Amino acid sequence: MLSRSAEGLYWMGRYLERAQHLSRLLRMQAEALVDRPVNEIHFGWLRVYGSLHRQPPVGSLELLAQDDYTLADSYTLADDLTFEPTNPASVWSGISSGRENARHVRHCLSAEMWTCLNRMYLRVQGMTIQDIWASSPERFYAETVAEIDTFAGVAAATMYRDEGWRFLNLGRAIERVQLSSALLHAQIVAAELTRDVSEAAWTGLLRLYHALEAYHRTYGLTVVPRQALDLLATDARLPDSLCRSLDMLSAELADTAASPNDQAVGAAQRLMGRMSALVNYAWLDREDPKALLRQLNEHGRDLHDLLTDSFFNYPVHDVPAR
Amino acid sequence: MDFKDYELDARIYDEMFHSDGAARTHVQGVHTALSETSAADLADIQDQVTGSFSSEGISFKVYGDDEGDERIIPVDCLPRVLSAGEWRELETGLTQRLKALNLFLADVYGPARIVEDGVIPVDVVRGCPQYRIEMRGFKAPHGVWVAICGTDLVRTNEGFKVLEDNLRVPSGVAYMLANRKAVKASFRRLYRSSRVQEIEHYGRVLRTTLEELSPAGTSDPTIALLTPGVYNSAFYEHMFLAGQIGAELVEGRDLLVDDGFVYMRTTAGLRRVDVVYRRIDDDFLDPVVFREDSLLGVPGIMHACKQGNVTLANAPGTGVADDKSVYAYVPDMIRYYLAEEPIIANVETYLCRNPEGLEYTLDNLANLVVKRVGESGGYGMLIGPHATPAERAEYAEQVRATPADFISQPVLDLSRAPCLIDGRIEPRHVDLRPFVLHGRQTRIVPGAFCRVALRRGSLVVNSSQGGGGKDLWVLEN
Repeated sequence: MLSRSAEGLYWMGRYLERAQHLSRLLRMQAEALVDRPVNEIHFGWLRVYGSLHRQPPVGSLELLAQDDYTLADSYTLADDLTFEPTNPASVWSGISSGRENARHVRHCLSAEMWTCLNRMYLRVQGMTIQDIWASSPERFYAETVAEIDTFAGVAAATMYRDEGWRFLNLGRAIERVQLSSALLHAQIVAAELTRDVSEAAWTGLLRLYHALEAYHRTYGLTVVPRQALDLLATDARLPDSLCRSLDMLSAELADTAASPNDQAVGAAQRLMGRMSALVNYAWLDREDPKALLRQLNEHGRDLHDLLTDSFFNYPVHDVPAR
Repeated sequence: MDFKDYELDARIYDEMFHSDGAARTHVQGVHTALSETSAADLADIQDQVTGSFSSEGISFKVYGDDEGDERIIPVDCLPRVLSAGEWRELETGLTQRLKALNLFLADVYGPARIVEDGVIPVDVVRGCPQYRIEMRGFKAPHGVWVAICGTDLVRTNEGFKVLEDNLRVPSGVAYMLANRKAVKASFRRLYRSSRVQEIEHYGRVLRTTLEELSPAGTSDPTIALLTPGVYNSAFYEHMFLAGQIGAELVEGRDLLVDDGFVYMRTTAGLRRVDVVYRRIDDDFLDPVVFREDSLLGVPGIMHACKQGNVTLANAPGTGVADDKSVYAYVPDMIRYYLAEEPIIANVETYLCRNPEGLEYTLDNLANLVVKRVGESGGYGMLIGPHATPAERAEYAEQVRATPADFISQPVLDLSRAPCLIDGRIEPRHVDLRPFVLHGRQTRIVPGAFCRVALRRGSLVVNSSQGGGGKDLWVLEN
């Protein structure tokens, strides 16, 4: 497959994953605005901005801890994260960049995938925070999540399982690892910074990963932070757990055809092994989960570079025999 | 929906009606069906057609707009209908014309007999900016310089005429196919009962054509479609066609040339490319030979082409044959190379490079369409009767300054076809662009990108200037 097409599919996968993840977070945050105490809402914003390594547009998050600001400024923060075109991490940026990549490689997608993605784009295009805020912002986020889920389903049902499929999934898997490691890290940091963190902050995190019922079944009704983190990191039955995303990543990497850059692909596979070991072996004996998550995240970044060198932008030494 | 307010003008050929208001024989089925369809149902059909374009993202870009701005090409749901007999005549005429144009190209880049024999003045050929001296002595595979041609045809009361040959990178075929797909799905019963000839095999025919032109010794060639990229106005079409013909969609940066062979960069390493269906202009094709500031092209690809290691379709340099001045000589080419009379006529053309042409043009500016030879897409032209005296005077200055850059033609009464405009059926001017493919033989899919000037009274059908599309139905016998 053409390197540039593979790269386009890879990025399409990454961007849509990113938009979906953030929409899930914002949906929860929008729901919290209805009835949760202010410190919990503050905790939510700390977590989102922390996981994105982004500064909020309204001064500092510390200021937000006061009642007067948190509720009023939520509108601005939600706008920054949802529709702000100059914020590369916003939901809108994710959808439009995902679609823009898809537009470049549309001939590698099934017609159904394109139509699905294009409809999503057309729905969100031109919307503003005013359009969603007054009535039900959570509905907008829920719809966006559902649309991206539908896209993934349509892709699974219709896309030819060639290299394109693998690069799309490679992008999704690596993005998941990056997002989850950053979010879990941000959760721990936010918990350290916030006074009187309620159990709800952890319940919310589990809900975000569709893991609350599984948690209750495994550990009982009281949510203990350490156990919540264990579940999210190491439970292979949880679709979005770290270890499962890593498994997906490593399976896709193993499946990709021979690379013209043996050195880089070898390094990528070794790094992949180290990342899996961090979660599968080092995690349970961890002393500092933050350091481990940070390391995982950095490895993820390096892995991206190695994939680029392996398949997209490799050096050319020889031409094939004619 | 009734046609009782439908306006007919004896000077203008109407695609559906005779001048006395009776429906033409071959259009009777469509006419009856439309007459029996309610206004509300027609509006629904139009919505469906437009909606399918929007959700499929069939868009084009207009230069000068913001980079991210894609527009949906407006499409009118009412089909234009041609009889099998009308089509057969067009087919013969187009085949004849392309044959002569290919012979002309081989000649002007070879012995140039046509110039020597005084049929075309040497400066018309050599003075043409699209004449590529680099191509002299080049032998195109099987003598085919132009493999893909999109000919603009118009109809007047005198019959069909060729308005323009597009021999470089003709576009619009994706719209032909998209219009058909949308209109067929919306007029289901009418489509079936009308017995319309199919066009859906265009991709296969194009693939066969390109395969036939692949360099010697390559069976099952690797074909790549070279696009300038996503910001090109026709990117949708490039993407669409690449999928249809099983080609990789490449940009210049995906290709490289080594020792006279072209390779593309794939995830598994370099892979040789045999045929490049290029949708980028000569100027940008190869920075080594043409514009050195081109970032879109492939350094060395011209060398590979001249070595015969890769086929470029269309060949570089074909623009000399669709130049607006050279156009005037195409009927002479047909007589010269084929010893036949042209089957489809040209539009009468005055070359301002000739003193008598210049004089005539300036004297009759109010009644003529004046075009710049180097421009296309409806840009840079003056429609005399629609211009103000001041605009005409200003334009006359430009013509006087560089007469060789201009030609003029009478304002044609382009035929009109019924269109659904604001809930009413009204006549609008139309043209059509069939696509002629030539590998070892000529093949024409029975259809065309039919363009329509949606603004009332407008004669400009270009999509960049308020034009839209229409499906063209060629009926079976």
